[in-house]
Amino acid sequence: MPVVNISFDRLKEFLPGVKTDKALEMLPFIGLDIEGIDDSIVRVEYNPNRPDFSSDYGIIRALRGLLGIETGMPKFRLAGKSGFSVKVGRPVKKVRPYVAALAATDGRLDDETVRQIIAMQEDLHNGVGRRRKKASIGIHNLDAISFPVTYTALSEYSFTPLGESLKMTTKQILSDTETGRTYGHILKGDRYPVIYDSAGTVLSFPPIINGKETMVDTSCKNLFVEVTATERKAAEDMLAVIAFTLYDAGFKIKTVIIEDAKKTETPVAAPARMDIDVSYVNELLGLDLDAGKIVDCLKKSRLDAKSSRGRITCSIPRYRTDITHPVDLVEEVAIGYGVYNFEPTFPASNTAGQKSALSTYFEAIRQTLTGLGMLESFNFSLTSRQVQYELSGRPAEDVISVDASKSAEHEVLRNSLIPSLLQSLSRNVHEEYPQKLFEIGKIFRKETDRIEERWHLAALTSHDEAGFTEIKSIMQALFSSGFGMTASTKAASDPLFIKGRCAQILLQDRPVGVIGEVSPLAIQNFKLRMPVAAFEVDLSGLYSGQD
Amino acid sequence: MSIDVSTLHPIERSILGEIAKNEPLSIERLAETCKMSLDQVRRGVEWLKFKNLISVKELSSYFVSLAPAGQAALQSGLPERRLVRAIKEGKSIMSEILASGMLDGQEVNAAVAGARRNGWILFSEGSRMSLTEAADKPSAEETLLARLQQGELEQGKLSEDERKGFELLKKRPGYVEVKEQKQILVQITEQGRNLLPALSEEKPQERRLTSELITSGRWKQVELSSLDVEAAAPSVFSGRRHPLADIIEEVKEIFVGLGFSEIDGNMVQSGFWNFDALFTPQDHPAREMQDTFYISGRKHAIPASKDQIARVSRVHKTGWGSWNAEESERVVLRTHTTPVTLQHLARARPENARYFSVGRVFRNEKVSYKHLVEFHQVEGVATAQKASLRDLMGLQKEFYAKMGIKKVKFWPTFFPYTEPSLQSMVYNERLEKWVELFGMGIFRPEVTQPLGIKNPVLAWGGGLERIAMLRFGLDDVRELYTNRLGWLRSVPKCQL
Repeated sequence: MPVVNISFDRLKEFLPGVKTDKALEMLPFIGLDIEGIDDSIVRVEYNPNRPDFSSDYGIIRALRGLLGIETGMPKFRLAGKSGFSVKVGRPVKKVRPYVAALAATDGRLDDETVRQIIAMQEDLHNGVGRRRKKASIGIHNLDAISFPVTYTALSEYSFTPLGESLKMTTKQILSDTETGRTYGHILKGDRYPVIYDSAGTVLSFPPIINGKETMVDTSCKNLFVEVTATERKAAEDMLAVIAFTLYDAGFKIKTVIIEDAKKTETPVAAPARMDIDVSYVNELLGLDLDAGKIVDCLKKSRLDAKSSRGRITCSIPRYRTDITHPVDLVEEVAIGYGVYNFEPTFPASNTAGQKSALSTYFEAIRQTLTGLGMLESFNFSLTSRQVQYELSGRPAEDVISVDASKSAEHEVLRNSLIPSLLQSLSRNVHEEYPQKLFEIGKIFRKETDRIEERWHLAALTSHDEAGFTEIKSIMQALFSSGFGMTASTKAASDPLFIKGRCAQILLQDRPVGVIGEVSPLAIQNFKLRMPVAAFEVDLSGLYSGQD
Repeated sequence: MSIDVSTLHPIERSILGEIAKNEPLSIERLAETCKMSLDQVRRGVEWLKFKNLISVKELSSYFVSLAPAGQAALQSGLPERRLVRAIKEGKSIMSEILASGMLDGQEVNAAVAGARRNGWILFSEGSRMSLTEAADKPSAEETLLARLQQGELEQGKLSEDERKGFELLKKRPGYVEVKEQKQILVQITEQGRNLLPALSEEKPQERRLTSELITSGRWKQVELSSLDVEAAAPSVFSGRRHPLADIIEEVKEIFVGLGFSEIDGNMVQSGFWNFDALFTPQDHPAREMQDTFYISGRKHAIPASKDQIARVSRVHKTGWGSWNAEESERVVLRTHTTPVTLQHLARARPENARYFSVGRVFRNEKVSYKHLVEFHQVEGVATAQKASLRDLMGLQKEFYAKMGIKKVKFWPTFFPYTEPSLQSMVYNERLEKWVELFGMGIFRPEVTQPLGIKNPVLAWGGGLERIAMLRFGLDDVRELYTNRLGWLRSVPKCQL
């Protein structure tokens, strides 16, 4: 989850009369996780559904509501039209079709504000922007731009990117800069998006990097912000978050004309409206609040609300893109009410609980085998090719592997349990013998239209005298004491076992598993020093009551 | 200090018995007569000495053995014997004998002296030799040599004859040698001797109660020896369920007690059930390969009805702007157990029900002391007409209480498929801090409505390994899947 740093100074500045301890205590109740506190900074993690929490401005906005300092929709007023426009060229419609922009004027950028804005931009890129794939932001020094600007796509162009001293071609940027290599994969085809002004200055190569000419520093008073995106909604959502943040930071926000197929003006700051029933809120929360109280709670969550005859009409500020359904308003009521104020109630039940038949069946197996002195092991279903095939000497056929595993120890789904148990033995060569292990676990098999999952049981014993007779006795005891069944064995072969010391396990002539003495080669491969005898049974085949 | 004979170890009894019969005995001799190992005797002697029942003294003894000339004499005879043989062959004058090589010039004196001493030869005509009848009998020296051929002899225990031979041979260089050997001799003390009557009155001792003793009734005539009941015994290990299985079982019992029934399902799921049906947008970061395991090279038809697919795709198009069947057909190792729960709810569409599951889930993580790629998730859902957030908190609190967790806090959080959503923190007494545990919420209408589920569904869940780590005091979650016997054998079954 993304992290925002909030300094205690900013908390004091924006939450007048509130002790820092109290402010910190309230942070979790607007949905933030405190990750750490050092000296005079608190680091909080926020959930990706709240892009407005990507700067401390948004967080303080919410805290002011919950603490009752300022409730209802946050103040926000567009300061009119900037008169500037962005012309959208047709070639970009196939690459990254949407753009939205705003002008922010008459502001002042101090170090902390710049830090917050840069951090916000990064978080928005990663979250709502889906690592810039869906939407990305460029923030520029307005005074360095000659309007109108053009947003289009060109096959190849060059400019001096931010952080470089020389002109580079788009190709060079993609291959020679870090951001180019990180985000270049987003651009498909042979045309690259570009934003340039009427003087030919390149503002940005979206979504890769901005131009150097329009770089922002603390001396900037006026900003130009553009968001390019693959979806209009994403561009507008992101711009709304930025608009509110810059407004809170003291800028005047003015609209920019987007000259696309149609002329539009951004940002769109009008609140959304949504209705909610008082009864719906109370039923879902288990409370009995009157309409007035619900309106108060919503206001503490920085929404506007009016009630009329059991119905509440809400105004939702444009940056709250997460509120899409009345149920989202119910949560806003809960947060405004204060989650700490909820008294848990234990609901009466008229359902009788029970474990699954499978659980009961496995418990019987566990009891029987532990009664025989065996230890249960837990191993991963996702194991390595090496353990499953190479070391055990079984052929790697119909292997089920996963894509892009971060570890070679977890790359294939098991088709048998014994190899994992041998691996367990290999970690215990210095422990006392005899060692007797078993495991109940799933194995996986490829079918044409699905992956078949079956429950298996494997057991083994390892000590100086371990052998076929001992393991067969254990196997027979499992079936007779556990289930009143008689198992028999019939000679078979399996590369994991010694030739002539391996058999199929039969229940009334039906093969249900394999049993034998593990081959010395496998024993050696697993770096073991003692003989091992093992068996494995398909439990799903035995038990018909499974769902 | 008087000693109760019944406390004597069988080794001690055996030694006392032997030295009571005989003179002081060496350790080696005792081992032989008591049929015990040297170590056993040494141990017994130490015990008895400590109890002042025996005394021990060190004694030197001298042993006679063959020297090289003696060895040679055994092969070819002593010089006097060879002289006799030569005379028998008809050589009666020394010059003839020396010429035959049967005697060496240097041996002449010894041969003649020896033969005379033994009374074997007579001289006539000055220097002509003839044999007496005694010449066929072995001399004392010869007898001793023959005895020594079988091994060394203790000097003090030689027979008269042997001693005579020894005295004679000792004077002749190179035939025999004498070595000193120190010996530990064990002797019974007065106190020990006083115990003997009591010992002999005792019934015969048996160390083991055997089936033969029982069935023959002979156990009545014998006494079973006391054992050192305070001695250490070798370790044996109980078979046992995996500690994690213990916790799973405990969790299941708690759920059943709260009226929940267990459900179970596949680990391999479709993108549709694992994500789409749970209103997780198709471009959500959690769905990328960096976070989620997909089965290589597989796409399966969506295992849902046409109607379900249509409704789910509609909420995605409305809520997120797009939906692709391709993405839903991907085959994924479930990232949570909720797809199983949801399919069960979609099938049963209960108005009032409580279900739970405990199963494995998968995340494409880098394995570390706090992250696994595969772990257990516990999940509970409850649906009822008036199910509420407070009920959810109450169920959660009750669940924790039954696990022994008393202090619980809740705060708002976010999950794609629940609203409202809460996070719970519990206070861990051992660590003396708050620990994040289960997440919970009410299924969003975008999840329930497309599947025809009418009433609110309260859901909560989280990883089980975290609870296990707290319970067993583990710092490394991997320990739970390493199967180190040292650990498995040491985890107590029940923590009182």
